[in-house]
Amino acid sequence: MSGAPAIQFGDEIGGPLGVIPERVWLAFAVFALAALLAWVVVRINAGLLRRAGVPETIEGTAFERTVRGIGTSTVAIVSQLTGWFIILLGGIVALSIAEPTYAQQFWERATGFFPRLFVAVLILIVGVIVGDKIELLLSERLRSVKLPQIGIIPTVAKYSVFYVAFVLALDQIGVATFALVVLLALYALALVVFTVVAGEQLLTSAAAGLYLFLNEPYGIGDRVRIGDQAGVVQEIDVFVTHIESDGEEYVVPNDRVFEGGIVILHDQ
Amino acid sequence: MSTPTDLLDDLTADLDAVFVFSPSSGFYERFEELDDEVVVIAPENTVDAEQFVELPLAFENIRDRIRFGVEGAMERNFVGDGDQVGCVVSVFDGDHDALVRVRADESMHSGVYDLFANSRADPGVIRDVFEVVIELGKKGQKGKPVGALFVVGDAGKVMNKSRPLSYNPFEKSHVHVGDPIVNVMLKEFSRLDGAFVISDSGKIVSAYRYLEPGAEGVDIPKGLGTRHMAGAAITRETNATTIVLSESDGMVRAFKGGELILEIDPEDY
Repeated sequence: MSGAPAIQFGDEIGGPLGVIPERVWLAFAVFALAALLAWVVVRINAGLLRRAGVPETIEGTAFERTVRGIGTSTVAIVSQLTGWFIILLGGIVALSIAEPTYAQQFWERATGFFPRLFVAVLILIVGVIVGDKIELLLSERLRSVKLPQIGIIPTVAKYSVFYVAFVLALDQIGVATFALVVLLALYALALVVFTVVAGEQLLTSAAAGLYLFLNEPYGIGDRVRIGDQAGVVQEIDVFVTHIESDGEEYVVPNDRVFEGGIVILHDQ
Repeated sequence: MSTPTDLLDDLTADLDAVFVFSPSSGFYERFEELDDEVVVIAPENTVDAEQFVELPLAFENIRDRIRFGVEGAMERNFVGDGDQVGCVVSVFDGDHDALVRVRADESMHSGVYDLFANSRADPGVIRDVFEVVIELGKKGQKGKPVGALFVVGDAGKVMNKSRPLSYNPFEKSHVHVGDPIVNVMLKEFSRLDGAFVISDSGKIVSAYRYLEPGAEGVDIPKGLGTRHMAGAAITRETNATTIVLSESDGMVRAFKGGELILEIDPEDY
């Protein structure tokens, strides 16, 4: 009988507490230790995140604002997440010590699953914050563009990031995401094709403009002829060159410079 | 017998519009119930006024400030020719302390508003050049008064009407006025002779330029030197605006179309 040694220990502790086997005490100790460890890790994590300037970076994002509304902060949530994870782990270890046969089965499944769940939640939080931040940055950039419909661009960017984070998180916990990934790939492909087709002229112009910027074959004040337009160069930027003659200012896309070449006119 | 209240009644009788200069939001609210047109003239539209004229420089001279406001409002059809306008301004620092009654008509027109808003160069570029010149006029170059000549806009034509005095330090560089480092560069280069040429978008095209416009028919106040003469003359032959810092009296003057448009003392800013 395994009861005999337990009674010996119970004698030392005495009273009704003696009934509880030593294994349970050990489990309690492990759990307490895990709780302490979790507390320390939460503090260290919060400090690290704060020192890395995370609160300033994510200030103003919707997630941070929502979280502030319920009286906490993103840093607190993320650092507490690690704490809960450790406590949970401690709880499982304690359980397995107290009741080996029951916990064994649970343990086998959980060891694989819990870290993944933890990573998935972390990915979701980071994804939401990054998405919000991108929306914020983009809308700030586009503020000078006075077009009401422009607001769709930051929103689309935000939800794209959300979607990627969502797929990654689902993938982490082992849900079949193949269809979603295919959808994502189609979406990305459409975006690339759209950019290339719609922005082809702009891209070639920008490439030509880069060359013009670096080498400056002609400068402001030079008399040039690009295609049919001849005149004095008034302005060169990445996409276009302004050429003026007799009060008419031509705005010539820079890719024209490479298509037809430039004629620099000296002494007329 | 005219008491101050009577005087104020005379000034405010039959106004067509009220111009409020740089109001705080609390101060602006007091005008909102007014039947007359209310126009806000300020560096920024902080009070979300419907009718707003942006003030590019905090003109210290009240006449310039009011002229700018009236010309801007006429340009945008907030007020018509011959309208009576009451201007609420602050003459000394702080609260609004003066009411000026003016008649908005062509005789008010000095071109101050056109100088900023309707020049070839971007309004922001003109303002940035003004800021550099004012700072240069205040501090000078290493404490000594310095003169400078900036030709802004229509750079292609200006380049063709001038020749280099020496190698152009801005060759193959892509710097714009308003970049923080550029102000220091311009200050250092201001000891060089000749003019700075700046393009419509603010790119510094060249320093060390000797301007060669024809000076016939240029009418500027007597007593101004060759720098001002050259600066005024180039604006007659091109669509450029020139901003000149005088070495002798330290004043900043702006020319357009061969005429002196604006004269300010950098010490006031």
